Amino acid sequence: MPAMETRERALGDRLAQFGVNRRTFLKYCATLTAVLALPARFTERVARALESVEKPSIIWLEFQDCAGDTESFLRSRNPGVGDLILDLLSVDYHETIMAAAGFQAEAAKEATIAKGGYIVVVEGSVPMGDGGVYCTIGGKTAIQILEEAAVGAAAIINVGTCSAYGGLPKAAPNPTRAVGVASVVSGVPIINLPGCPANADNITATLVHYLTFGSLPATDSKGRPLFAYGTRIHDACERRAHFDAGQFVLEWGDAGHKRGWCLYKMGCKGPSTFHNCPIIRWNEATSWPVGSGHGCVGCSEPDFWDTMTDFYVRLPKVTGFGAEATADKIGLGIAAATAVGFGAHGIAKAIQRRAGLGSEGPAPGSMEDDTDGSE
Amino acid sequence: MKTKEARVREVLQDPTVERTPGIVTIRVWELPVRVLHWTVVAAVLVLAGTGYYIGNPYILVGSEPGFVMGLIRSIHLASAWVFSVAIICRIIWSFIGNRWSRWDQLVPVHRERRVWLWKTLGYYLFLRKEPPPAAGHNPLAGVTYLVVFVMFVVQIITGLALAALANPQGVLWSTTGWVFSLFAIQTVRLVHHLIMWLTIGFVIHHVYSAVLVDIEEKSGLVSSIFTGYKRLPIDRL
Ligand code: SF4
Ligand code: SF4
Repeated sequence: MPAMETRERALGDRLAQFGVNRRTFLKYCATLTAVLALPARFTERVARALESVEKPSIIWLEFQDCAGDTESFLRSRNPGVGDLILDLLSVDYHETIMAAAGFQAEAAKEATIAKGGYIVVVEGSVPMGDGGVYCTIGGKTAIQILEEAAVGAAAIINVGTCSAYGGLPKAAPNPTRAVGVASVVSGVPIINLPGCPANADNITATLVHYLTFGSLPATDSKGRPLFAYGTRIHDACERRAHFDAGQFVLEWGDAGHKRGWCLYKMGCKGPSTFHNCPIIRWNEATSWPVGSGHGCVGCSEPDFWDTMTDFYVRLPKVTGFGAEATADKIGLGIAAATAVGFGAHGIAKAIQRRAGLGSEGPAPGSMEDDTDGSE
Repeated sequence: MKTKEARVREVLQDPTVERTPGIVTIRVWELPVRVLHWTVVAAVLVLAGTGYYIGNPYILVGSEPGFVMGLIRSIHLASAWVFSVAIICRIIWSFIGNRWSRWDQLVPVHRERRVWLWKTLGYYLFLRKEPPPAAGHNPLAGVTYLVVFVMFVVQIITGLALAALANPQGVLWSTTGWVFSLFAIQTVRLVHHLIMWLTIGFVIHHVYSAVLVDIEEKSGLVSSIFTGYKRLPIDRL
């Protein structure tokens, strides 16, 4: 049996105190189970785990970031229960939301690190350039802070594309030599929840998975949990039927746009992006970017700022051919140049043949040339 | 009804039939080579046509229900499999076929072929008048086809990888998913798209060169890919 103190902290006893009845709580657990892509029978297990689990310590580190993932997390849906989950977690250090400041805050973090077994949540990229001077907190560089925190960590959860893959700070020309967390630390289980920002429901679900099963969920080759990044936007998009039909928006606000047709020709990167946005959606599941009429920009893919741009055209521009060189223009150029080039060549050859121009190479078949390679 | 032999004899004795001494007729391209060649031609035409539409859907369906993109993508994928199998078969044939279809006609491993490579280039650059003697591919053409084969293999891998995106739990993904550990998805799309254009450029060049050499060599080069036979002076073998 858990100790009395732990029972006090456990979520189960505090539901009423938070004005959440059991029915609402179970419904929330069912939603989380669905987000995790687990069979419905796991709902009970999730509920039991959440009711009885000990308060896990969390250190939330912010480096080169915009605090967008914090914003996203604090606005997780079902505020009543979501807040409870937040309350369930002992967030010992979080620059944006903690009450403590300065040395007091650093001391709280050090105490948690000394205890070990905590979860580190990282938001923002780590600048490696010039010894890491581009991001220092309390006199320490982001590299140092991360390495110290990683030592006793049970797991590292990267929220947002910046901590996962370097994100916007890493975009070319990357003046700070920003990298993702996995390029700095190793030896700790790391999971990536990319997105700009990461979706609060995926953060919560990952934490709940950890609390329920004591491990991080299964991931793809880019370290992203399969439950959230196992399907492409394009394959779960509500506009997909219009894509298959051949009904495309051609201009913002045109008739097709008003009818909710596919945004492919407006540069939608749904076909190149793995994320569960169309399924769990945003803002308390009211809508999501493509649902509201804008193409996906591929924010949860590594280096999206470099590889998914231009956001409003289908394929990336080809560098080195001038500013307006789209793949098709270059391609047409190649085809046209070959046609024109060989056309001219043909005419020249004909003239050469008639005029008998050109240096008389040794006549084919003469002894000297009897080196036909096809033999 | 005359027998076949009788007809042949008749033709051979006909004084109007040209029987040039020193000219040989060789079966250069075996049946599998010709069949694979035309399979690849058909597949490339269908793939480029449908592929261009997939990249830039220009047929627009109004409010009525339709399945244009879906259909075109299915055709693209089906012909992609035909293309892939044809290319694999051709690569296999380059190890078991006759001497003109072998891999060493493409990869210039023999010194003589490397020497002729430059001379052939000279022919194209108007430095030589006569096309190089070659019953099969001339060495420059061989190297061009080597580049084309590499392009095709990259096209097959990138294409199958892009198709696999729809099901990252599938078999296709487990064989081609590694591509995306090396390159961003959009980069793979771009490469796949550019190779289409390069292939179109190659087709133009290929048809032109075949006709040009056919005219200069009078070897029946163009018809040889239908019949398999080339007609060559003995000293041009
Ligand atoms: S809107 Fe985007 S994600 Fe949706 S079907 Fe069209 S291309 Fe795919
Ligand atoms: S729709 Fe695309 S760009 Fe928008 S949040 Fe989802 S993955 Fe990111």
